[in-house]
Amino acid sequence: MAMSFEWPWQYRFPPFFTLQPNVDTRQKQLAAWCSLVLSFCRLHKQSSMTVMEAQESPLFNNVKLQRKLPVESIQIVLEELRKKGNLEWLDKNKSSFLIMWRRPEEWGKLIYQWGSRLSERSFCGYLKSCGLVVRRVSRSGQNNSVFTLYELTSGEDTEGEEFHGLDEATLLRALQALQQEHKAEIITLGDGRGVKFF
Amino acid sequence: MHRRGVGAGAIAKKKLAEAKYKERGTVLAEDQLNQMSKQLDMFKTNLEEFASKHKQEIRKNPEFRVQFQDMCATIGVDPLASGKGFWSEMLGVGDFYYELGVQIIEVCLALRHRNGGLIMLEELHQQVLKGRGKFAQDVSQDDLIRAIKKLKALGTGFGIIPVGGTYLIQSVPAELNMDHTVVLQLAEKNGYVTVSEIQASLRWEKERARQVLEHLLKEGLAWLDLQAAGEAHYWLPALFTDLYSQEITAEEAREALP
Repeated sequence: MAMSFEWPWQYRFPPFFTLQPNVDTRQKQLAAWCSLVLSFCRLHKQSSMTVMEAQESPLFNNVKLQRKLPVESIQIVLEELRKKGNLEWLDKNKSSFLIMWRRPEEWGKLIYQWGSRLSERSFCGYLKSCGLVVRRVSRSGQNNSVFTLYELTSGEDTEGEEFHGLDEATLLRALQALQQEHKAEIITLGDGRGVKFF
Repeated sequence: MHRRGVGAGAIAKKKLAEAKYKERGTVLAEDQLNQMSKQLDMFKTNLEEFASKHKQEIRKNPEFRVQFQDMCATIGVDPLASGKGFWSEMLGVGDFYYELGVQIIEVCLALRHRNGGLIMLEELHQQVLKGRGKFAQDVSQDDLIRAIKKLKALGTGFGIIPVGGTYLIQSVPAELNMDHTVVLQLAEKNGYVTVSEIQASLRWEKERARQVLEHLLKEGLAWLDLQAAGEAHYWLPALFTDLYSQEITAEEAREALP
């Protein structure tokens, strides 16, 4: 199921699968691994993984080259990703993890921008339909719009947005990040959840 | 009967003779100068004609450039010797190699983080040609070598290492002595080298081989591979032919900007 994923040159370079002793070289190596993990997961729409899966995945195991990144080194790569905010452990034993090719804060920003655009548009649209001329004076004014989680990831209005199709775990973390910034609040809607933008 | 030399009269006579000679000397010098000046004018005109006739050729034709350089060498002239002056201004030879030098530096900077500052002449050539685009003048490997020699002379840290019939171009002032160079040459065949290979081909002791390989690792020129059959392999990204067709990524291009 590799599709047309373009492996970087490092993937065909045998030493890439050995943790480099030289500090500067190792830095470059880890940066390349982090980048590879994120683009691989993004393309395969994989938002979570177990360490066991990772070991056998073509991501860390290049069968043709007969090289695989040893599990201790995989752990180091995963820790790098965690430090950068792209990974979260899902259990205490660090056996499975959530992988986010965009950090939650970045997703939050995109979703918030969409939210304010949409409510602004719909409010302006309403005014225009009343025969009023609308002139934008300032950017503010979110009108406290409310959306369900489903609407955000699967609604018509988000088709074409990058976060359309986003997995719920990542979405929740994105909204939590917004909540921290007092830009949104996660609320209960019926038997599900939603978010209110401020 | 005349007495020789001393006496006011004699001194005065001497002075007069000197004056006369001086005058004659001045006249002679002026004559010469006039003649030389006329010759220079003619020389200049001829050179300008030469320049305009051949400037195009020099920019367009790599073979012509080689022959031109050889000719200059024969008459003891280095057209790349200085940025200003006849050769670079009239013929644009200096400009051509200066611009090429800048391009070479850009490519090396952009790829440095991949290969540690070592690059095969072939790969450099490919990347430079790509950077020049379809409509630019053709550039030969000979041109590259000349431009790099120039860069080397300017003390920019460039070096040229002969390997396997071609050259490795060094663009960082990493310390590479004869031992290192020889191992690089050995590595060129497969893109990697091992301690055993060095011991067998060069008949060195293990420790000497290990030191060289450690140094290459330290300089970021080699990567360690512990999953190869038998013993550790030391790979050089610069020699990794798979890299050749790689585009320079946007990130790498950004690194090349000062």
